Amino acid sequence: MMTKKETIRIEPLARVEGHGGIKVEIEDNKVSNVEMRILEGPRLFETLVIGKTPEEDLSIVPRICAICNLSHKFASLRALEKALDVKIPEVTSHYRHLMHHGEIIESHSLHLYFLALPDFFGYDNAVQMADKFGEVVTKALQLKQFGNKIMRLMGGRMIHGENPILGGFGKLPERKILMEVKKEAQELLPFAIETIDIMAGLNVPDHMERETQFLCCKPSHDDYDYYGNEFITSDGKVHPVENYKDIIKERVVSHSFAKRSLYNGKPFSVGALARVLLLGNRLKGEAKKAYDKLYNERWHKNPVYNNHAQAIEQVYSLEHLIETIDYLLAMKPPEVAKRNRNSGTGTGAVEAPRGTLIHHYEIEDGRTMVADYITPTAMFLDDIEAFIRKSADELLSSNKKEGIELQFEIIARAYDPCISCSAHLVEVEFK
Amino acid sequence: MPQKTEIKKPRIGVYGFTGCAGDQLLIIHTEDEIVNLFNAADIKSFVMASSNPEEGPLDVAFIEGSVSTEENLHHLKEIRQRAKILVAIGNCAVSGGPQAMYTEDGKYQERLKTVYGDIKFDVEPLEATPIDKHVTVDYYIPGCSISQKQTFATITRLLHGAEPEPYPHPVCHECKLNENHCILLDKKFCLGPLTMGGCDSACINHNRPCVGCWGPNYDANFKEHFKLLQSFGISKEEIVQRIRNYGGQKILEYLKEM
Repeated sequence: MMTKKETIRIEPLARVEGHGGIKVEIEDNKVSNVEMRILEGPRLFETLVIGKTPEEDLSIVPRICAICNLSHKFASLRALEKALDVKIPEVTSHYRHLMHHGEIIESHSLHLYFLALPDFFGYDNAVQMADKFGEVVTKALQLKQFGNKIMRLMGGRMIHGENPILGGFGKLPERKILMEVKKEAQELLPFAIETIDIMAGLNVPDHMERETQFLCCKPSHDDYDYYGNEFITSDGKVHPVENYKDIIKERVVSHSFAKRSLYNGKPFSVGALARVLLLGNRLKGEAKKAYDKLYNERWHKNPVYNNHAQAIEQVYSLEHLIETIDYLLAMKPPEVAKRNRNSGTGTGAVEAPRGTLIHHYEIEDGRTMVADYITPTAMFLDDIEAFIRKSADELLSSNKKEGIELQFEIIARAYDPCISCSAHLVEVEFK
Repeated sequence: MPQKTEIKKPRIGVYGFTGCAGDQLLIIHTEDEIVNLFNAADIKSFVMASSNPEEGPLDVAFIEGSVSTEENLHHLKEIRQRAKILVAIGNCAVSGGPQAMYTEDGKYQERLKTVYGDIKFDVEPLEATPIDKHVTVDYYIPGCSISQKQTFATITRLLHGAEPEPYPHPVCHECKLNENHCILLDKKFCLGPLTMGGCDSACINHNRPCVGCWGPNYDANFKEHFKLLQSFGISKEEIVQRIRNYGGQKILEYLKEM
């Protein structure tokens, strides 16, 4: 009998940041190969910053990615401030948290309402959704605008602002503006909570479900947060961020300009889902209520719930942003902290909206000798491939080939991949 | 009674090559305008925002990103063939972007090997170049990222079949209008006089020097500004290094006279 070979190619993968695709090869109704293709051209940032000053690093490196440019800035700041022994005052770190909440809200609302939800309601884009879901689209635009407003305020510009600097900020926002931002956050919170009900009503497919591993930053306090000097993993271990190279093993594959990563020799997930699974018991207030409403056992084996986890984090970030502003209003504006040395090594990690982001620098006499960046998308690409493989096996064996591409896209899109960050594609080949 | 004629909406495509996608994101992030744009134009392809693109004839194509792979190059030429007007958006498309800061130094392969080792990719990587190195570009919207104001002014004019207005002003022009204190008077590094304006002097507004991220302004006086910065004790090498961060490939032309 002749072997029947087919290829499913989804290229370009729409509604993700950057140029990527999915390729699935099928032989005799069985999956023989899955490739999450990242074909956005290489930019070689690790080599671009060699010989530059830390100030130049901070300007250049966030250009890796527009959506999470402030996460990149933040990760570099955390690494460089360790390397150069810059001790920032407590209040400065709260201004940075405010900035980061802005980016989480901007990025999550863009992904959730504009990139992910159209699939669940059967539309090509969110603007088409406006006819039937006008209220949701309008409110979602307001929420996204609010996130962008904070990025502009703290970053100095909506995308690639230069305001966050070593030791602090070029300029801090005025009290009056902080109070406006707080008021807007209070006004938007009910919509973020309503979104939890929208998420609760979604039909989440189960054809890709399999066990996987999770990793995120472990906050240095007992509350939920997006930073830490340690990683926590779903096997119950805690690792100092400086050991990142021993924990996350990177390799290069021919179908991707993004490097690939494994933990314990196996694929793993990072992002909102990983954070809520590893730190969800630390949530409080409305975010805790949202978690109690949405969480179930399937979250541990189904990446589509990353959308739900993002909805919870929108609530968390709005609530925590209000607390942060209350704190900032009670404090005197901080001075910019000075660097205490010109040489040193530092590793910084933050939770970018789509997952753990690591920056590492070695500085000698004020010049960059070594730079290394591991982005969340580079971490979870292997896991996306594993879930698509499981989904394809499941759907083919039960003869559900109709609309299979969309199912693969829903999986890839749920991760909120940032292909520029990782260096972008979906192809499915039926062999 | 005159017959009401149906006006055909201009067909638009928005494409992203190699870059950070910030210029496309900036269009998506125009919360007040994005719905209007989707209504006023027939958006045939904008894969960052919508599924199921239709790749046919276009009235206007907007291109973000540098050419950094054989696939980018092939796709760019293909879009040029079916687009009446082609617009480069953002520093990477206009000048080559930060990925072109070492362009033509002969060490591209070495850098590629440093990051990825000896692997042979399915798609051939290329040293980053601006898009007008390969095709005719009708209009440029510079920026890193682009400005919403300039972009929507240009899109609106193009939608109505009008010529976009040039903006030949450096960052200093806007910085003066914003009544900022001039950093150069403090003998500190700033690239405002050499850099294309449009950013509303975002960095200087925040007490930060201009890093030159919009790329060189057409009539900038490089010689005099080099002299000024050198008089502050900044070496020529240091100035060149900083100017090249965002000068892309285009800066080489300006640096020739230095």
